Amino acid sequence: MDYTLDLGAVTRNLGPLFDGLAVTLQLTVAANIIGITAGFGLALLVLSRFALLRLPAMLFVEFFRCTPAIVQIVWFFYCVPMLFNVFLDPITMGVLALGLNLTAFNAEAYRASIQAVPREHLDAGIALGLTPAQRVLNIVLPQAMRASVPVLLTNGIGTFQQSALVAIVGVADLMYQGKTLATQTYRPIETFTIIALFYLAVSFPVSQLVGWLERRRGLAAR
Amino acid sequence: MELDFSILLKFADALALGLWTTLKLTVLCVAMGTALGFLIGLARASENALIRIPASAFVEFFRGTPVLIQLFWIFFCLPLVLGVELSNLASATIALTLYMGAITSETFRASLRAVGREQMDACVALGLPRSVQILHVILPQAVLRAVPTLLSNCISLFKESALVSAVGMADLMFVGQNISNNTARPIEVLTAVACIYFIIAFPLTRLVTRIEGRMLRKLAA
Repeated sequence: MDYTLDLGAVTRNLGPLFDGLAVTLQLTVAANIIGITAGFGLALLVLSRFALLRLPAMLFVEFFRCTPAIVQIVWFFYCVPMLFNVFLDPITMGVLALGLNLTAFNAEAYRASIQAVPREHLDAGIALGLTPAQRVLNIVLPQAMRASVPVLLTNGIGTFQQSALVAIVGVADLMYQGKTLATQTYRPIETFTIIALFYLAVSFPVSQLVGWLERRRGLAAR
Repeated sequence: MELDFSILLKFADALALGLWTTLKLTVLCVAMGTALGFLIGLARASENALIRIPASAFVEFFRGTPVLIQLFWIFFCLPLVLGVELSNLASATIALTLYMGAITSETFRASLRAVGREQMDACVALGLPRSVQILHVILPQAVLRAVPTLLSNCISLFKESALVSAVGMADLMFVGQNISNNTARPIEVLTAVACIYFIIAFPLTRLVTRIEGRMLRKLAA
């Protein structure tokens, strides 16, 4: 190939890339805070006895799980301001869009682990005269939380990767900065390879951690 | 603000064409990606480190980076590296096939592992050659166990295929965005696009749940 690699084009411009990484991490952390908390509430709604609570919650979960994330993000950025007449800054919009998506996926993870809490534990709670709120907070939540940690982490890292999609609607995250740099310097190979490595450097340790947690749980269950 | 969904009727043909591209791309990449994933899954279970390590690195790389970057890399960098022009369809197919290969290889690896060690020992005891071991004993069981997860992988790929719109391929998402920009009616058009994706993916997820339930009962029996 008649293309000489020149990493200098990228290493001279690391500043914007690090700014982009900071935005990406900010989006990821904020969306995860929404997803981990709201996901649990949504899971409780999905498991509710009342159809009026259960059906809308299920629809929410299925809708987010069955449509492409890029469609959700583009929809959110174009339609929310028009429908509700609210104009938020792009990062907040990105956090909300990614956070809602993650809420749906985490709700599924929580649902599975809430259903795995043994029925006897709840009966014991009733026998001890705990209120429903106490039963949820002290019996269901701690166990469900523990059981869903690996899936929550996997989903969290998924959101980290999905966050690259906000570049399409113009949020200055790592992907956006990389795209800009590639265009400015005419160095797509170097730039895209290096941003890919940036993403890998964050998600690889987390996925290894998930693997380790799962292996440990496998040993404990035996 | 007034919503006018009748506008969609005017663009029904364009949307159908976009959907056709999306489906074509998905089916093509599912077929090739699953085959690739099976080979990589075998390679990762290999005893030879020279085969195992590159296969693992490939999988970690494709699972650890956003699909959007993979697409951009293949669209903009691969033609430079190879020195040949690639059509939109070719680049998108390569990118999504490699991604599908990476995610299905994990599925196959998990199901290969689920086939009990005793079965291998039984093969050795019966003096079966290696090819018979793989083709007639391990493979059928592994594939059977992998089916529900593989279907989930297909649904994921169907959704991820919307990303090709970002590099200018005229799939459903791209057509939808174009129409929404030209008519300045994003709410109607984008909602319709989301619903089309939903209508296809949702029944498939139900199917996965049913097959999974049936499979669990069968394996338990």
